[in-house]
Amino acid sequence: MTTSSAAPRRTRRGTDRKPRFAIAVTAAFFALLYLPIGVVVLFSFNSQRSLTVFKDFSLRWYTAFFQDPVLLESLGMSLRVATVAMAGSLILGVTLALGLVRCRNRLGSLAGLVMLVPLVTPEIVTGVAAMLLFKGMQIPLSTGTVMLAEITFSISYVTVILRSRIAALNPEVEEAAMDLGATRWQSLRLVTLPALLPSILASAVLIFALVFDDFVLAYFTTGVDPQPLPVRIYSAIRFGVKPTINAVGTLMLVGSIALIALALFIPRLFGRRGGLDLLSGK
Amino acid sequence: MATQNTTGPAQPGLHPDDGPTRAAAAGHEHPTGRPHQDRRHTRAAPDGSAGAGDRLWTLLMLPGSLWMTAFLIGSLALVATLAFGTTDPLGNPRFGLNPENFAALAEPAYRAVMLRSLGYALLTCVICLVVAYPVAYAIALYGGRFKTLLIAAIVVPFFANYLVRMYGWSVVLSDDGPLLGVLRAIGLAGDGTRILQTAPGVVAGLVYGFIVFMIIPLYAALERMDVSLIEAGRDLYGGPLRTFFHVTLPATRQGAAAGCVLVFLPAMGDFVSAQLMGGPDQIMIGNLIQDKFFQGQNWPLGSALTMLMMAVLFLGMLGYLRRTRKDEAEAVR
Amino acid sequence: MTPVTTTTTTTAAGPATGLAPAVRLDDVCKRYGDSHAVRDLSLDIAPGEFFSLLGPSGCGKTTSLRMIGGFTDPSDGAILLGGKDVTALPPNKRDVNTVFQSYALFDHLSVSDNVAFGLKRRGVDRAGIRERVAMMLERVQLTELADRKPTTLSGGQRQRVALARALVNRPQVLLLDEPLAALDLKLRRQMQVELKQIQREIGITFVFVTHDQDEALTMSDRMAVLNDGRMQQCGTPEDVYERPANSFVASFMGTSNMVPGTYRDGAVVMDEGPALPVGPRQGIAENSRVNLAIRPEKIWLSDLAPGMARVTGVVRETVYSGPTTTYLIELTPGVTVSVLEQNTDRSRMEDRWSGGEDVEVGWLPEHCLVLN
Repeated sequence: MTTSSAAPRRTRRGTDRKPRFAIAVTAAFFALLYLPIGVVVLFSFNSQRSLTVFKDFSLRWYTAFFQDPVLLESLGMSLRVATVAMAGSLILGVTLALGLVRCRNRLGSLAGLVMLVPLVTPEIVTGVAAMLLFKGMQIPLSTGTVMLAEITFSISYVTVILRSRIAALNPEVEEAAMDLGATRWQSLRLVTLPALLPSILASAVLIFALVFDDFVLAYFTTGVDPQPLPVRIYSAIRFGVKPTINAVGTLMLVGSIALIALALFIPRLFGRRGGLDLLSGK
Repeated sequence: MATQNTTGPAQPGLHPDDGPTRAAAAGHEHPTGRPHQDRRHTRAAPDGSAGAGDRLWTLLMLPGSLWMTAFLIGSLALVATLAFGTTDPLGNPRFGLNPENFAALAEPAYRAVMLRSLGYALLTCVICLVVAYPVAYAIALYGGRFKTLLIAAIVVPFFANYLVRMYGWSVVLSDDGPLLGVLRAIGLAGDGTRILQTAPGVVAGLVYGFIVFMIIPLYAALERMDVSLIEAGRDLYGGPLRTFFHVTLPATRQGAAAGCVLVFLPAMGDFVSAQLMGGPDQIMIGNLIQDKFFQGQNWPLGSALTMLMMAVLFLGMLGYLRRTRKDEAEAVR
Repeated sequence: MTPVTTTTTTTAAGPATGLAPAVRLDDVCKRYGDSHAVRDLSLDIAPGEFFSLLGPSGCGKTTSLRMIGGFTDPSDGAILLGGKDVTALPPNKRDVNTVFQSYALFDHLSVSDNVAFGLKRRGVDRAGIRERVAMMLERVQLTELADRKPTTLSGGQRQRVALARALVNRPQVLLLDEPLAALDLKLRRQMQVELKQIQREIGITFVFVTHDQDEALTMSDRMAVLNDGRMQQCGTPEDVYERPANSFVASFMGTSNMVPGTYRDGAVVMDEGPALPVGPRQGIAENSRVNLAIRPEKIWLSDLAPGMARVTGVVRETVYSGPTTTYLIELTPGVTVSVLEQNTDRSRMEDRWSGGEDVEVGWLPEHCLVLN
């Protein structure tokens, strides 16, 4: 066996020779990963319509976006949907996660299974199903139906993230609260929820970003007017690209990347290490 | 004063050694003085403490699970029911009990799309594996203190809007885009070579869309792996390639399997990639479903297609679960 | 099941005669499915007593403590605090506070808010809370750290916060679940002294769970030894150490030599050795199989006195460990005893027994126990 503090050439974790092949693939991967994003950002500042030739730096497509009432309306709708879905799925998801971890009966394990369904179903199926449900119940598709569908889909994410956090809590802390005179409800409110706050905030930001960017579910459940921003982008891409889309895309990229970065680093703001463990919940 | 201080019944045949073994069997108290971490879980498990608590937890669980059941299970049941329905002459869906839709799916045209989707999704998995392995390997083993940063650099862009990313990718892959430009310059592509409107284009789209789901579990598995295994492998097998196939691959098989499922699921249901990167000959089942619900207005047939897709995915999941069960059983042994 | 004799021991333990016991466990059982965590446990703990529950892991001591605290419901039996039946009451309705093994501090609250938590729940007014918290923090020497978050404290400081948070409520009984287990040895010794001091000062009943017999011996007024869910013995540390009730207690409370034999005519007759006089023993039937238990420090290797039980053996091993030397001496094939000698006399360094030598050992009959 080779635990070698004696061999100075070896890196702390790894073997003596760097795998040139793997490193080359990684470099190419990163290049191809960022190239499409770079293209969108670059051409959003193009003074021309062209997507192949960059002429001059210009903000004309951003100006165009902020003067387009339809796109602005869509932006507003997407923000509203994301806010409502975030709030709704947090309330339902946090309570569900608490119940799932603590409830060790048959009902609990059944609910645990139901909760996993959206995670193993392609979005197109959930989308089709939600649309049929609304049509079947004669609910006209609108902003409201998008909100309902997005809440349903987001509950699972909140629950998955929170569940592992709750299971990792020390049960003695809640017992200590009751030992000191708190009722079960008080100990939940005064001790457990504050302990979960970083994870709750992180999943809130995550859900907001996911819902804001979500296309498939929104596509199947939205009415004709207004439409969420991703649905508008879809139509624009399919039926003749206007460079305005580059500007919208860039703004959305900046927005969601900022949100995700925030979600990943929220736990650090609370003085905890390794905020990236949110990723393992995905 | 002798030894009458004992309380409780007399103890015939007491064996001092019984303690730990019995405790392990009963499983409610842990070796004390250990870090409390392992102690609390097992203790919380069989306890449940006061019975009144359970009611509160059930109550808390209720709104969320009722919501999910009503919307999710309810709507999926609706799809399953409508799959046996018909359309009236006006194109409105009618419930029924006829297997016609499923019979229609057996037609060659549908079968071709189904098989194509399956092929694309599987190919996507394979390509993702081949690309993600070196990437995860390089980051997990050679990332040093930049490990977390590098992984974040992969994950964060994937949360950017899917459509915008796919659109940007289609620009990169376009006939006069940068990728073909480079390939032509180094002589790997001819003047007429295209990526868009071809099957490789669609698969490239799917790979770009979902490869992060392969990298994360692989990275996690490689991170967990004991590096001395690789070193031992070098001693045993010599070459890095043989070491990879004999040591690294088996040790991270579960991560790879999880990644395949995570990629296969959305790839199978995708319809954007085929639309942006493919032509009429590259449509996937997702495009058919979309078409039946929006343009074609044949909801029962769309529902049947959806159910068929779910069935295929279900079989895939089943295979995955059996595989992991077997792996776990072997790991225990 | 057999009625319990604890009442006699309780009165023997303290000045509590006539007062209701601070804690009474009445035939308490806890079952998990088919397995028993605790069976038929009956105990009286007097007000003001420092009482330890001692036993190996899995013996049911923590389960018993949790039942007193109200975190686990007994399957059977009753729990009384100060004469009042609290079996059905939740933890927040019991006048008992707990120091948890993990300390279970509220990480999002400052040290002083942690300590104030119980008082706030009980509706003590602001001024009262401030005063009592300040006094308590003073008592455990945490005044300077009052505004810090628990995560920034050391193990010993966290332990003090946990103690202060419980004691500030002035409970009838304080339950301590291996509170010192996570501390290193030096800090542990220091906290043992401090805990004992605090307990004597404020006079609250302490119920202390530990798996460390030294800790139980040095700290407790009385202790109960548990094994496999049953109480083995209950009494003062001296009772339990000097007069263990059975082989389990004898071997759990430090090293004890066990010499098997047959009890006959006031002596234990070794299977392939001499008869060892032990004097008449009550409750031991003639010709029954017994174990003669004798502590290593009670066996003599030289200057044997008249009246001692004597037996010859061969020195098999000599283990020098600073202040003491331990000899392993084989009396008859398969029966080995360990003997502990103080290294007091320098001149004897040279003539320490070495392996293979024959040696005569002996002990006073009143120092040995005859166990069924």
